[in-house]
Parts: sequence; structure tokens; C-alpha cells
Amino acid sequence: MKILIVEDEAKTAAYLQQGLSEAGFVVDVARNGLDGHHLAMTERYDLIVLDVMLPDIDGWRILKALREAGGKAPVLFLTARDTVNDRVKGLDLGADDYLVKPFAFAELLARVRTLLRRGASPAFETTLAVADLELDLMRRRVTRAGQRIPLTAKEFALLELLIRHRDEVLPRSLIASQVWDMNFDSDTNVIDVAIRRLRAKIDDAFDRKLIQTVRGMGYMLDASGEA
Amino acid sequence: MRRPLSLASRLTLFFGIAAAIVFPIFGWVISESMERHFEEGDTEELELIADAIEGALSAVHSAGGLAPVEQRFDDILIGHHSASLYIADADARTVYASSAGPDLSGAAQATEAAPEDDPVRRWSDADHSYRVLTRRLRPGPIGDKDYIIAVAVPIDFHLQFLASFQRTLWLMIASSIAVMSLMGWIAVRQGHAPLRDIVARMRRISADKLESVIPPDTVPRELSALAESFNDMLGRVDEAFRRLSHFNADIAHELRTPITNLMTQTQVALSRARTIDEYREILYSNMEEYERMAQMIGDMLFLAQTDNGARKAEASVVDLDAEAHGLFEYYEGWAEERGVTLKLKGTAKVTGDRLMLQRALGNLLSNAIRHTAAGRTVHVKLAATEDGSVRVTVENPGAEIPPEHLPKLFDRFYRVDASRQRSGEGAGLGLAIVKSIVDAHGGKIEVTSADGRTAFQVVLPDQAVPEL
Repeated sequence: MKILIVEDEAKTAAYLQQGLSEAGFVVDVARNGLDGHHLAMTERYDLIVLDVMLPDIDGWRILKALREAGGKAPVLFLTARDTVNDRVKGLDLGADDYLVKPFAFAELLARVRTLLRRGASPAFETTLAVADLELDLMRRRVTRAGQRIPLTAKEFALLELLIRHRDEVLPRSLIASQVWDMNFDSDTNVIDVAIRRLRAKIDDAFDRKLIQTVRGMGYMLDASGEA
Repeated sequence: MRRPLSLASRLTLFFGIAAAIVFPIFGWVISESMERHFEEGDTEELELIADAIEGALSAVHSAGGLAPVEQRFDDILIGHHSASLYIADADARTVYASSAGPDLSGAAQATEAAPEDDPVRRWSDADHSYRVLTRRLRPGPIGDKDYIIAVAVPIDFHLQFLASFQRTLWLMIASSIAVMSLMGWIAVRQGHAPLRDIVARMRRISADKLESVIPPDTVPRELSALAESFNDMLGRVDEAFRRLSHFNADIAHELRTPITNLMTQTQVALSRARTIDEYREILYSNMEEYERMAQMIGDMLFLAQTDNGARKAEASVVDLDAEAHGLFEYYEGWAEERGVTLKLKGTAKVTGDRLMLQRALGNLLSNAIRHTAAGRTVHVKLAATEDGSVRVTVENPGAEIPPEHLPKLFDRFYRVDASRQRSGEGAGLGLAIVKSIVDAHGGKIEVTSADGRTAFQVVLPDQAVPEL
């Protein structure tokens, strides 16, 4: 998977490149609008991360040119100004998602993965399984090592989210938004409590702990079993 | 757009135009009536003469010509300075003409055809102007022929007088117009002196001296409303300004603590080599500070945008009990862990921005849960009031908030317990955000704390379409 980052701020560009490379992507970085425009138009990318505030050619023009030329790569734009106009403008011009600075890297990574997955049509699944944990999506039932575990509806939704994004770090804000439809930053540790309760049910009685805390970033369901 | 004319020029112009209309009319009436006066005097004199001549002529009976009465003509004319007489017969033959007078035959001819009711004319020969009266005597004194008599008086003197009078008059009118305009201008300048005074006082007002107001009784009555509203505005600006500077100080303070932590921690860490785990620990610790700051910045941006209307609200019908249920589910685990029960009573619908209302209710709820002791219950009550608005009450048992803190609870960064500043419960913006959302919906928020209960009461108008 090849990603283009167009970002003029040196530090931001460097850490985005490092972070995404370490997450297994091939990353090109353009440090100004002109290079970004050139790369976006000539190379094939699976995703473009575009800062809209660039000193020469702004992100909107690159996005517009790309879409006019028929480029279909999903575009995630970064903006420092959280105004409705910016968001609407970006989405109108054909961007697929946006993030407001400052953002958590885990959030960016989660959105990048979601955008990249979007193209592939998800198979209609009735069960999800990780290690010896199994989710029956139709009957909303969870078993681990053949043992039935009763979960509340929200706990089930949380576990399903973690499994669908296995091996991805999910920031708390994303979990709150996806599971509870809460779209504001709460100053409470609600998510930690919910995870703790879920763990008590699916992990505590077993040796292999599936739910991992990634300190400072969020939570992850570890399917690789290396931890 | 062109800048409108100054008030002074406007009024000066109006005064000038008014004077330019009134004075010439006045002047015209005066000179007309003077002319009329002269004309009437002349006509009277001419008629006197003509009557006398006619009388003299009536004494002539024979065909002996006019010779016997010519002496009488002179007698008649002598009393009237420079009057002259001309008599012609019907065939326009001169019968008599005063020796010194002008040749009136032309005048007589010209006026012969004139209507009889207007016998007095102005007539000029090469050098002089005259007023001439012509009269047809029929039948004439001699034989049965018609006679025409013409009597003339010179009016050069009158005309000259009138001309010079008119010259003077127009000069006076012109200067009056100029003087009026000037007076107008001066009056306006004088009248505007209080305005200039106010301007000067306004100019002296600076950001650090916002209280130097304009006493309304020191300005003319017409301007006291202006002064009052200006004072009111100044008061509001002063209040906003004071709050802003407090806010700035608060932000600086709020940011200084985490920045200091980050700096010292990093400096200490770098002062000598550490193990990988130690570095990782420091980075995690930094991460937590960063997150806190990022959240604070996010909250402040939200507040700024809600306050100045930059955040566009999407109005829809919001089912408040469904929102409350969702929030209960969200906070359930956390509340349970703290031993706090959540109870909802009533239903309500309101038109508003769902995400904003969710956030406001969520903040109130988390605030209530946080301040409730284990084993107690937080009550959320929804009710429609008589006037169609919706009342949302979030009530929790717990330590009462001292009354002096109540009005300040919604201030940014305000904390009842100053020592609990950084105990991981946000930056102290939660309730400020609630208030700002309620304000944006045109609602009201109140807090009461008594009898071991603290209650936040939000009243939202039925059509709480956010005015953003």
C-alpha cells in the first residue's frame, strides 16, 4: 500500500512518514504543493494525506486537479481550522475524510486503514473469530474456548469493533464514537472502565490476554499472539 | 459609494437655498409695488391734465380753431412739470403740440388702436421715456370730428430711481443670502460643538480606561440618548474586555503548568543517559500532558466557535429522552463503578443541534456523577413547561456548593476547589461549554445548591433553533 503525504511542516511530515512506514505502508512525502501536485498526478497512490494549508499550491487545488484528472485515490485532508466551511469544501471537492490538527496519530492510522479498506467490499460475515474467541453476529453470542460469555449489547459492540480492527490501535474517541455514538471528548475515563469490564469477562479467566492497552494511544485487540 | 455631504455643508446649502428663494420674492414684490406706486401717481396726474384739457376744449365751439384755448393749455400744463400735450384730429393731422415737448404724434398713432380701458402707456423716443395718456374725444369739440389728445409726462427720473433702487435691492439680497449661509454654517458649527466635545471624550477612552464615560446631563438633551447608549455599550465592552483579559490570564496559567512539567521532565531526562524503559516512561508521561493540552485547545476552539457563531448548527428534532438513554448507557459502567445510580424521568422533544445538545447533557451528567457519593442517585428530569419550552434538570446529591461560587460555575477555567485543579477532570471548561451551547439555543441555565442537592436546570425554548 502506497501513501502520499503532502505536508509543508517539516516535523509533522517526518513523524507522519515514520509512523505510517512503521505501520507497514510505503510512504512518499511532498514538502510543498508543487511537488505534491506533481506526485499526485503522475504516481499511483492508494491514499493521499493532504494538508490544505500549503505555501504555494493549496491542498484544495491539488485535490481538485486530482479529481478532475480522474484520480480515484482516497484523500484524507488535514486542517488546522475546524470550521464547517473547510470541512464542507473539502468533502465537496471530493475528499473522503478529514482530521483537525492537533490529532492523535492512532486516530490518523485508524482512519487511513478504514479508507483503504473501503474499496474492498467486505464479505458478509456471520461470525468473527480471533484465537479461541468467537463472535456469532447473528445471534449476538460470544464464546471463548467453547465457553459461552454473556455480554451486554454495548460490550458486544465494543468487542466487535475491536475484532474488526484487530491489530489496530483504536483511540478512545473513536471507540466512543463508534460504540456509543458519543462525538465529544469526555473528560472521564468511561472508555477505560468499559474496557476493564469487557476484559473481566473475556480475558481475565484466560491466560492469553486479547485486549491490549497501548499506553497514551488507546486499545488494541492483539490477534497475533506475540505480546 | 460616495461619502454623504457634511452636515455643515448640508445645512449651509439649505439656508442658502431658502434665502435664495425667499429674498428675491421679497425683492420682486417691493420693486413691483414701487413701480406700481409711481405708475399710479403718473396716471393720476395724466388724468387730471387730460380732464382739464378736455374741459378747456369743451369751451371751444366755433370753427375758429384752437387758438383761443391754447393759452389755457399752457396754464394747465404749467402746474405739471414738463408735461406736454398733443392733439390730433381724426385724420391724424396735428392740431396742437406743446412747443417744448417731444413729438407725440407717433405715440398718439400707436395708442390710437389701443383699447379704451387701458389708456396709459409707456412710450419712449430716442432720448427719453414718457408715460402717455391718450384719449379720443368723440365727437370732438370742433365740428363733429373725433379728436385725439395725448398727454405725456417724462418718467426718466422715476426709471432711474427704480433702476438704482433695484440695483441696491439685488445687491442686498445677494449679500443677505451669503450672510444667511454663513450664519447657518456658524450655527451648525456652534450646534455641533457638543458633538465634537463627545468625540474628543470618546477619543480619550482607551482600553485600560474604559470607565471614563460621558455623563448624560452634561450634553444637550437631544444628545443624551446618544450618550446613554454609548455609556451602555462601553459598559458591555468593558465587561467583555475584562472577561477576555481574565480569560487570557487563565489560558496562560493553564498552559504554563503542563509546559513546565514537560520542560523540566525532559530536561531532567536528558541530563544523563537513561534506559530505554525510562525514556519510554517519560514519553508516555509527556503524551498525557499533550493530550490534556490538545483537549483544552479543542474545548476552547469549540467555545470560541459557538460563541461567535462560526460553528454551524444543524437543527433537527432531538428526542431528549433518547439522548439521555444513550448517555446513560455510555456512563453506565463508570457510574456503576463509582456506586452511582442514574435515573431518568419524563420525556421531551426539542428542535436543536443534536450533537451540541448531546454534549451539553453529557457534560452535565458526567459532572453530576463525579460529585455524587457512592450509593446515591443522579436524577435527570425532562419536562415540558406550560409555555411550550422544555426543562431539563440534572440533579445530584452531594456537598453543597457555597453560594458565592454559584454564579461563577459557568466561567471558563473556574473550579470551586482551587486545589483540585489538576486531578484529571478536565480543564474546567465543561460547564462553560454547556452554557455556551444553551446560549446558542436561546435557552437559560441555572444552578441551585441547597439541602444537600445540587441541581442544574436548563430551559430550552420549543423552537430552540440555534442562532448560529
